[in-house]
Amino acid sequence: MSVPALEVSGVSKDFGRIIALRDVTFSVQPGEFVSILGRNGAGKTTLLNIISGVSRPSEGTVQLFGTNPSDRENKAKLAVISHEMFLYGNLTALENLEYYSRIYSVPDAQERIETVLKDVELTHRRFDLVATYSRGMTQRLTIARALLHEPSLLLLDEPFTGLDQHAIGMLITLLKRQKEMGRTILLTTHDLHTATALSDRYLVISKHKIVKDGLIVDTNPDKIRQAFFSSEVEEGVS
Amino acid sequence: MMSTAFSILKKDLRMEFRSKESILAMWIFSLLIFVIFNFTFEVSRLVMLEIAPGLLWVAFVFSGMFGLNQSFSMEKENGNLRAMALMPVDGGQIYVGKFLSVTIIMLMFEALIFPIFIIFYDLQLSLGMFMLIPVLLAGTIGFTSLGTILSAVAVHTRNQQILLSLLLWPLVSPIIIWSVTLTGMVLSGEMTEACYPLLVRVGAFDVIFFTLSYMLFDFILED
Repeated sequence: MSVPALEVSGVSKDFGRIIALRDVTFSVQPGEFVSILGRNGAGKTTLLNIISGVSRPSEGTVQLFGTNPSDRENKAKLAVISHEMFLYGNLTALENLEYYSRIYSVPDAQERIETVLKDVELTHRRFDLVATYSRGMTQRLTIARALLHEPSLLLLDEPFTGLDQHAIGMLITLLKRQKEMGRTILLTTHDLHTATALSDRYLVISKHKIVKDGLIVDTNPDKIRQAFFSSEVEEGVS
Repeated sequence: MMSTAFSILKKDLRMEFRSKESILAMWIFSLLIFVIFNFTFEVSRLVMLEIAPGLLWVAFVFSGMFGLNQSFSMEKENGNLRAMALMPVDGGQIYVGKFLSVTIIMLMFEALIFPIFIIFYDLQLSLGMFMLIPVLLAGTIGFTSLGTILSAVAVHTRNQQILLSLLLWPLVSPIIIWSVTLTGMVLSGEMTEACYPLLVRVGAFDVIFFTLSYMLFDFILED
């Protein structure tokens, strides 16, 4: 069996007296698309921060491709898309992408920039300042920035938040393409419909721990819905 | 090796030249200090010569605080600070990039405000004033090398500006005091070889602050 793209073992995280994660254990195989479902505050973003190496777990370990997530080689294989833009409003789309292509040492940068801009349909606005973009356009450029260095592992933290239908459709198409290309994708969301449509596998996180881990094909969508909503009921959300 | 640092420097300078936000605010703030002090105190030229170096550094340091705050505030906006932590590069390179951009912006501001200072305080230009270049350079580098890392620490907190002041002032004050002394010597034409050890001391502090900050920056970027 190949080395897992991601291996999370007994990870806990607390911020003083506040517990964010408790004994989270799971692994993701290369090329797998996994959705982490859970209500707001369940610990999804904290988990992604630990996986990406931005935050350290209080207990437990995380390995990306068999090594430490903070390793420079691993960081180059990783991309994060969240509600944060990771873009500079006072630079144009092209300048932002050129900046990140230098940081990530993207080979044939200009060609790659043209490709990702075309993929997110922003070629015609490449010379405009990002500050003048709408929310949807900004999120599309965020996606372009994340895909620029062709990452092996994509971490998506509620990427559909605030997007219009057109942008959601475009993101879904891009994610399907990434999946076909064999990229490993980890998506956190509370949108059950999108998660079941895109993923191979789902995890339900509730009260800061994983309460359900299953394959989408083996599970009736109603069962997933039931697992998700029962976790919400447990946490006092009607 | 330093390509990341230069990419960050290029990006920061491009953004600064486009908005002119920091340099303009720093310049106006310093101008106000010079105007207020010039018209408030009716003192002789001799007394003015004594207080002028202090005034100059008050302007540099207070304006520099604005530049330091601005440097990481723009990274915090839109989550770019987190993007920096995710970069596949050594944190030291990010530090060097930010340090260079803050230092260059501050030196440009100093070059722009110094002629105004000469005019306001009626100082006479002489060849000896060229000795101000190493003094300003050493003092500014000491201020920005420490200020850059402390600004990166403070940006994670709600009271960023207060925390930066609290952390920076006690540590940077020796450099500022020595720089004021050296500036006074240059302006009064008393810069002799006996002053060089003081300049070397400022330079030594610069090296220590820069090296420590370079080594520690990786830890600062983590949550």
